[in-house]
Amino acid sequence: MSWLDTLAETSARSMAKRTSRRSLLASLGALLVGATALPLLPVARGAQTGKPGGTKAAQPAGINDPTSCDYWRHCAIDGYLCGCCGGSQSACPPGTEMSAVTWVGTCHNPLEGKDYVVSYNDCCGKTSCGRCFCNRNERDTPLYIPFQSNDYNWCSGSSKANVPYHCSTARIVSLAK
Amino acid sequence: MNASVRNAAPRRLTGAGLALGRGLAAGLLALGLIQPSAAVLPNDPMASVQALPATISPHWVWVNDIVFSHMANGKAMLVDGDNGRFLGELDVGFGSMHVVLSLDGKVIFSPETYFSRGTRGDRTDVVTLYDPVHLAPIGEIVIPPKRSSNMPMMANATLTDDGRFLLIYNFTPAQSISVVDTRSRTFAGEIDTPGCALTYPTGARSFFSVCADGTLLDVRLDESGHATSQQRTAQMFQVQRDPVTEKAVRVRDTWYFVSYDGMLYPINISKSGLTPGPTWSLLSAADTAQKWRPGGLQQLAAQAGLNRLYSIMHQGPRDTHKDPGKEVWVYDLARHARIQKIAMKNDSGSIQVTHDAHPLLFSAFIESNILDVYDASSGAYLRSVKDIGTTPTVLVTP
Repeated sequence: MSWLDTLAETSARSMAKRTSRRSLLASLGALLVGATALPLLPVARGAQTGKPGGTKAAQPAGINDPTSCDYWRHCAIDGYLCGCCGGSQSACPPGTEMSAVTWVGTCHNPLEGKDYVVSYNDCCGKTSCGRCFCNRNERDTPLYIPFQSNDYNWCSGSSKANVPYHCSTARIVSLAK
Repeated sequence: MNASVRNAAPRRLTGAGLALGRGLAAGLLALGLIQPSAAVLPNDPMASVQALPATISPHWVWVNDIVFSHMANGKAMLVDGDNGRFLGELDVGFGSMHVVLSLDGKVIFSPETYFSRGTRGDRTDVVTLYDPVHLAPIGEIVIPPKRSSNMPMMANATLTDDGRFLLIYNFTPAQSISVVDTRSRTFAGEIDTPGCALTYPTGARSFFSVCADGTLLDVRLDESGHATSQQRTAQMFQVQRDPVTEKAVRVRDTWYFVSYDGMLYPINISKSGLTPGPTWSLLSAADTAQKWRPGGLQQLAAQAGLNRLYSIMHQGPRDTHKDPGKEVWVYDLARHARIQKIAMKNDSGSIQVTHDAHPLLFSAFIESNILDVYDASSGAYLRSVKDIGTTPTVLVTP
């Protein structure tokens, strides 16, 4: 199935009109190298969709489905969802390598009413997965502001697998403060 | 192969099939639809391969395709805007950006990335040189394996104004520019541009990069392609409040950047350096109230002869700066005035114009594979060309 078909199936937020390929940086944040530096981040759009005490009916159906574009952790993702590609929201598919360099976003988990710092590490070393494309592209900046730009392939920071991009994870790295 | 097929076919026909064929031929003869003739069609030659004319048409366009679902197989496709004919293509490797045409039209430069085992193994980055008549490789220049992998931008690779040096943006994520000498066809060197991205030529031996703080890095080159100076300008753009996109276009000695909210920022080139021109908005107050804003992947085009700027427009909130549009608005750059709105046949995410006296306007969108052609002077729709790749990105014209 083509990327476009997959896109149409998985995108419920007019994302089909986006031209951005990567939205790993949709929330303000900083370069994360080896998950050692976690800045305080503003809460991204996902956090605004489900404040504590909000009605459950207000949440998208896929808010807790890691294979859905509406999954709460995907508030700042752009790419193929690794959960649809043999991996999960926190693990790469077999035979790929997780990028060490990436961007982090802050997403709100409406089920707990808490905000989490989420790292969108790419999985690299194989051709595009092609499944479950998701693009939630907010606060994206141009290429000249790299660490807020969604248009880079962050497998560029992968030393072993290099730039072949396969899919993107959405790892919780801390509770947002 | 032709001969064997022709010889084999009768043996597979049954008696009934032969009788049917003869009956059909007799019927067509009786109706006068075919004429009896003693002549037979000549055999077609073996190994026939088409070639393109030695002279490039100004109305040709290269449609670059990153092939997002199979990024190792990037390609660039050549289409004749006058008739919509698909003329041929180049296979340009992993994560392709776009081809760069030599000023004399005799060579096509293509920055490319390959791995020794498809998507794994040793990485090699090259600039492949293609013969524009046969669309075949005629040489390659090995460059550092650092070429940026990103959504394709015209500023990923550019030529200096005299065509001598090819400038290629690197991101590892350290930022630098690879300089290729197109005359000696060698890698000339690498220029570090920390904090600054992409390449915007400003002369025969100069270019700038745009920096994260809204300044520009003004780089001057010597005759060997090495940097002789790198100077940061004053801040040109409000990168936090309303950043300009990196999708600038140039008319003579002015680069035009547009912001997310539609403000146009001219950057003037002079021997003494880069200076900002007066800014002006592409949007009226009424346009803004109706949430019109520019958007797209290759969102601007400029036609120097007409002194016009073309901008893809859509209606949407902030953060829709990459959305396609169904309108292209046309501006007189001398009067800072909108002179036309072109209703687009299909969603438009990338536009480009030709640079002749009777220019065409091309339009494509990464999520379709249709190339639309318009008269750039009148805005009249001319034709659509279907089945152009899978994820077309930026359009390149001679």
